[in-house]
Amino acid sequence: MATSKPWTSSFSRNLATVPSSAPGLKYGPNGTIFISSGIPDLDKILGGGFPLGSLVMVMEDAEAPHHMLLLRNFMSQGLVHKQPLLYASPSKDPKGFLGTLPTPGASKDDKSRDRDPENEHGLRIAWQYKKYFGENQHHFDSNRDVKHEYCHDFDLRKPLEKHFISGQHIDCVSILDSPNLAALRDRCAPFLAQFPRNDSSISSAGRISIQSFCAPQCKYSNMEWDMLSFIRSLRSMIRSSNAVAVVTFPPSLLSPSFSRRWQHMADTLLSVRAIPDEDKEMAKLLTGYQDMVGLLNVHKVARINTQVPVILDATTFSIKLQKRRFLVLESLNQAPIDSSSGTSYGTSASCSGSSKSGALDF
Amino acid sequence: MAESICRALRDGALQGEHAPALTIKDSIASPFGFHVFTHLLTQLSSNILAAKSQSRGLVLVAFSRSPSFYLDLLNRKGIDVASSQKWIEILDCYTDPLGWKDALLASENGGSLSNEASTGASLCRNVKDMDKLYSSIIELGKGIVGQGKVRFCVAIDSVNEILRHASISSVAGLLSNLRSNDRVSSIFWLSHSDLHEDRVTAVLEYMSSMVASIEPQNQSANGRRCNWESLPLLEHNYWKGRFHVRFKRRNGRVRVMSEEFHVEQSAINFRSISSEDEIVNRSLLPKVQFNLQLSEKEQIDRAKVVLPFEHQGTGKPIQIYDGRRSLTDGKSEAEPVSTGILQTNENSSKGEIIYLRDSDDERPDSDEDPDDDLDI
Repeated sequence: MATSKPWTSSFSRNLATVPSSAPGLKYGPNGTIFISSGIPDLDKILGGGFPLGSLVMVMEDAEAPHHMLLLRNFMSQGLVHKQPLLYASPSKDPKGFLGTLPTPGASKDDKSRDRDPENEHGLRIAWQYKKYFGENQHHFDSNRDVKHEYCHDFDLRKPLEKHFISGQHIDCVSILDSPNLAALRDRCAPFLAQFPRNDSSISSAGRISIQSFCAPQCKYSNMEWDMLSFIRSLRSMIRSSNAVAVVTFPPSLLSPSFSRRWQHMADTLLSVRAIPDEDKEMAKLLTGYQDMVGLLNVHKVARINTQVPVILDATTFSIKLQKRRFLVLESLNQAPIDSSSGTSYGTSASCSGSSKSGALDF
Repeated sequence: MAESICRALRDGALQGEHAPALTIKDSIASPFGFHVFTHLLTQLSSNILAAKSQSRGLVLVAFSRSPSFYLDLLNRKGIDVASSQKWIEILDCYTDPLGWKDALLASENGGSLSNEASTGASLCRNVKDMDKLYSSIIELGKGIVGQGKVRFCVAIDSVNEILRHASISSVAGLLSNLRSNDRVSSIFWLSHSDLHEDRVTAVLEYMSSMVASIEPQNQSANGRRCNWESLPLLEHNYWKGRFHVRFKRRNGRVRVMSEEFHVEQSAINFRSISSEDEIVNRSLLPKVQFNLQLSEKEQIDRAKVVLPFEHQGTGKPIQIYDGRRSLTDGKSEAEPVSTGILQTNENSSKGEIIYLRDSDDERPDSDEDPDDDLDI
């Protein structure tokens, strides 16, 4: 019985959640195992989550702190699933950041984010002979799991409960004062050695998050080749372990060739961008501009065990905070224009979908 | 917008946040950064003296001008420097930044140093040491406002001068330490963007929460051609320019504002732009879809629409349309159509089309307007 979620196309792979001893893992095709990014929309866009053994890089925008939202959700999800965490940041006291992690929010039933209420009660069909047959509508049962264990929706306003943080295996590293990256490498290697990838079953998965890797106040920040070789060695260590690393960096602070090289190193590449405030042009062009806080671009999606690339319908998403609490990614929608000279785009496969409808050129 | 910047600097930092930081950047095309710097300095000073700002003191780190210059400037603008309550301290990194004069004097006089400390200035002899610089600034600030929770502002004359002696990462470290110190209310600095690589400017912008850039009036008319006729025009336009500010707001959006400025006799005036240039952010947006979702109101309205055959079967006689009649109750749904009336399709305006069917058994024409089927 296919678990059909209303907003994917009819061709969707059955990703079964195996209730293994390690919660928070999802088994995908080609032997890939996913862990959740902490943002339900992002998991859907990426086809399940972050695959174990991949390196995720997020390109920051110097003008906006949206990468922190992604990091917070990622780290909280790991803590809720009791996955060990290594966190490195250029501040003097990285532990302070743990106090800003969000807590899992209310369950899905409370949310009014019901995409297609119509589909659930059946279509209203204007049929001449319907009146002879009485009410014989097709009900579309939404087989949603009531208990979502894989990915939680995090409430950014409430901090994570203390017991998640205190009982955990959390390692915080400050990369501010280290003259080179040997110290960080020495922390990452034993951390990743805890999750070796072999044929036996997985005990647990690990998460590494490195924030603002080339921040200018770090002493190693002008050693560009060293930073690149660190990323390469991190990637190779991650490949042979059951862990995911998320590294954020501001590409504007690197020279263009190095920014390119770093982007090539990533398995999954995302970028966040700021949007101008009170921009009338943009408000006219997009619906929902008032609620948007930024834009998220998906440049690359990790495909480790397969040759088939992921081609997304849309690569740009707007970051919104729903009720100022929940991080939501939506595809961009154009505001209706009054004149009839609006261009028409290709029809979508699933007209009830939102995040994967139509073709977006970017 | 100079007003907004002054307000932001005046209001300072909230508890637990980094202090707002402003980068003023200019270039050779419009080299009025120092005018803007002094303008902001005087505004902030008057706010401090009038007790309108969060901070109670100001530490000015002087690299490119001597402290006496600043004291004269403030006096000229009517700001009382030698007031009873000490509110300004100047860290003098102009006179002897690397300690050469000291070394020279020491070797000549055999040890007696003449300490040229003017009022309100203390000397810094080693600008290469960022940690020392940081601690001197904080010490001076605490000297003004005392211990406790009161904050002070920091103004750095020219970051370019520091960058001559120290690497960008240590300067970035200094700036971020200053911003995160909980005694600092706000901080601003001046940088000439063409004295350094782009990366340095990018780093300074990364470290700041507001970026003010000074640009010439028309970008294209810079040193391309120097006709003798256009020279007076060029000179006239030289003193004017555009002042662009980008604010990084707390919600993650960027506020972009622009103004025009005019420099006359070492005073700078700001006014809003007369002709608005629409900055269209087309580059940000891909080709977007139309919204196929419905808002709440739209859903309710859609539920209200009565579909063609829905209104039948609710107690009224049921009609089955067989293609012969045109239903006259197009607008009002409650009226039942009287059966048995054969009506012809009438063109309401002028001409009449009279169509007589060949036989009654005939099925409705397939080329009939299918919308006639609908019973709305």
